[in-house]
Amino acid sequence: MVVRKEDPTLSDEDMMEDNETGDLYEEESELESESEEDEDVKLAEPSKTSIYNKDGLLDKLGDISWPENVGWIHKLSINIDQEQEVDVNDDSAREGSFSILALKGTRQAFENLQSMGLPFLRPSDYYAEMVKTDSHMEKVKGRLLAQKKQIEEADERRKAREAKRIAKEVQSQKLKERAKQKKEDIESVKRWRKQRQQSGFSKDNNEADEMSLAFEDGKAFERSNKRRPGVAPGDRSGGKARQFGGNGKKGMEKNKKKRDNKNSKFGFGGRKGLKKQNSTETTDDFRGFNKGESTGNKKRKR
Amino acid sequence: MGKKRKHSEANVAEPPKKDSDAPERPKRTLLGWKDPTPTETKEIESSSPIFRNKEKVLVTCSRRISYRYRHLMLSIVSLLPHAKKDNKVESKESKGATLNELVELKNCSSCLFFECRKQKDLYLWMAKCPNGPSVKFMVDAVHTMEELKLTGNHLKGSRPLLTFSTNFDKDPHWKLLKEMITQIFGTPKEHRKAKPYHDHVFAFSLADDHIWFRNYQISVPHNESDKVDRGGLDKITLVEVGPRFCLNPIKIFGGSFGGPTLYENPFYISPNEIRALKKRKAAGKYAKKVKAKTRRKMHELENPLEADEFADMWKE
Repeated sequence: MVVRKEDPTLSDEDMMEDNETGDLYEEESELESESEEDEDVKLAEPSKTSIYNKDGLLDKLGDISWPENVGWIHKLSINIDQEQEVDVNDDSAREGSFSILALKGTRQAFENLQSMGLPFLRPSDYYAEMVKTDSHMEKVKGRLLAQKKQIEEADERRKAREAKRIAKEVQSQKLKERAKQKKEDIESVKRWRKQRQQSGFSKDNNEADEMSLAFEDGKAFERSNKRRPGVAPGDRSGGKARQFGGNGKKGMEKNKKKRDNKNSKFGFGGRKGLKKQNSTETTDDFRGFNKGESTGNKKRKR
Repeated sequence: MGKKRKHSEANVAEPPKKDSDAPERPKRTLLGWKDPTPTETKEIESSSPIFRNKEKVLVTCSRRISYRYRHLMLSIVSLLPHAKKDNKVESKESKGATLNELVELKNCSSCLFFECRKQKDLYLWMAKCPNGPSVKFMVDAVHTMEELKLTGNHLKGSRPLLTFSTNFDKDPHWKLLKEMITQIFGTPKEHRKAKPYHDHVFAFSLADDHIWFRNYQISVPHNESDKVDRGGLDKITLVEVGPRFCLNPIKIFGGSFGGPTLYENPFYISPNEIRALKKRKAAGKYAKKVKAKTRRKMHELENPLEADEFADMWKE
C-alpha cells in the first residue's frame, strides 16, 4: 500500500498552482493567520501564487465610490476601533465584541443624528410592518416564558428540598428533646422515691423543700382537650354506654359515628393496636350484636 | 420577469449614478414635499448636483439551494427594501454573461447571488453592475432570522446604521469591500419603501480575516423622537434580530462576475479540499498500522532481549 505524503501545506500549494491564472502583479500578502470556520485548517504560509493587485483595487475603489462631498446621512456608516484581537472560537467573547462595536457605533450615530435635528427614534404609537411577523414574535415570547418557568420551577424544587431537609432536622431535634424530657421525668421520679426511702418515709414539711420535683408544679390534674362527640365530660364509661342508643341507623351513619369516636379519642387514624378494649359497662353489653346475624361461618367475608 | 422597460430609462441607468441628470425634483420626505434648496445647504455640502442614491440590488440564488440558505436569502431580501428578488438561475447560467444580462434587465445596479454547491457550501457573489468589481465569498456560520433565540424585531424597511471596524481601513482590498458593502447594504434615503426611523444597526466586524455580519435592534428609552435624554445614550440596549453569517473572501474580480483577478485570498482552502484532506487522514490509518508493526519488528530484531534466567523455573 502506498503511503501518501501527508503534508497539507505542500499539497495545497500544489493545487493552488494548478488553479492559478497568474496575471499582472504577483505579490505576496502579509502573513496573516486564518482559519476556516468549521474545519480548522490553516495554511501555515500564504500560498505563493496568489494575486494582490493593490493598484487595481484602489482604481476600482475610486470608480465605484460616491463623491466625497456626499453627506453622511446617505451613507450612515460609522467606523469603530476594534483593536483587540478576538479569538473567533470563543463564542461569548466574539459576540460580546461584536455587540460592543455596534453599541459604540449606535452612540456615535445617535449623537450625529441628534445634532442634525432629524427624528430617529420611533415613537410608541408608530405602528408599521415589522420585519418579523406577530405570530413569530408570539412563538419567541412563548419560548422565553417557558424558559423562565423552567428556571422558576427548578428554584422552587431546590427550595423545597432545602426546606424538607431543614424540617427533618428540626423534627429530629424535637424528638430528641421529647425523649430527653421523658427520661428526665422518669429519673426525677426515681430520685424522689429514693429520697423518700432514704429519709425513711417521714412526712415532714421539709419534704416540700427537699423534693421539689419537676412535675409537681402545683398544677392540678388537667383534663385533656380532646372532646369526643356524644360523650359527656364526666363520663367514665369509656364513651361506649351511649353508643348503641339508636338502633335504626344505616350503615354509613354508623361508620361515621365510629370514625368520629375513634378520631376524637386517638387523633386521626385511630389506634393501631390494643384492639381489646372492654370496660366494666361494655363487657356485658350485647346490644351491638344482632340476634341471629352472626349465625353461620364467622370467617365468611361479609 | 420584469416589465419591459423603455430604452430611454435604460440609458438613464447607464451613466454613473453619482450625478442626477433629471431636473431637480422637490425632495420627498415623509412630512411632505420640501424644496431642495433649504435642505441642500443643510445636508449636502456640494453646490449643484444633488446626490441621489439609486441603488437597487438584485438578489437571486442558484438551483438546489438548501432550506437554510434559502431562508437566509429571504431574510436579506426583507432587510433590504431596495432589493428585488428574482427566480432561481440554472447552474449553467451562473457565470458571467447571463447574470449580467439579468441584472440589466431588472434595471439594478448591483447583485447578490447565492450559489449553493453540493447542497452544503454556500458562496455569495457581491457584484456592482455593469462594470464594477465583484467579490466571491464563502459563507459560514449561518443563522437565519427565524431562530427563536434571536428575539429582536424592527421596522421593515427602516434605514440601518452601518458600523464597521477600523480594521477595514488597513488594506486596500478591505477598503474596497467596505465601500461595496456600504453601497449594497445601506438603504437609499429617498427610497419608496424606506421607513423613517433608525431602529436597527448592522455590525460588520473583521476578525480572523473574515467579515462577520450581525443585525441588532436598538432600544433606548425616549420620549421624543428626535432627542435622547442625557442619560439615555447610556441606556441603549441592543437585541439581536437578524440573520448572522460570516464571509470569507475568496477572490475579487475587476469586472462584474468575471474579468481580471484583482485579489486572491492566499489562505483560502475550498471546502472540497478540506473534506479530501480529512478523508486522506482517515485513510492512512491502515498504512500507519502496518508501518508501525514493521517498525516494531525491526526494533525487536535489532535489540534482542536478554535470556531470562527464570524462564525455566516453572517448566516441568
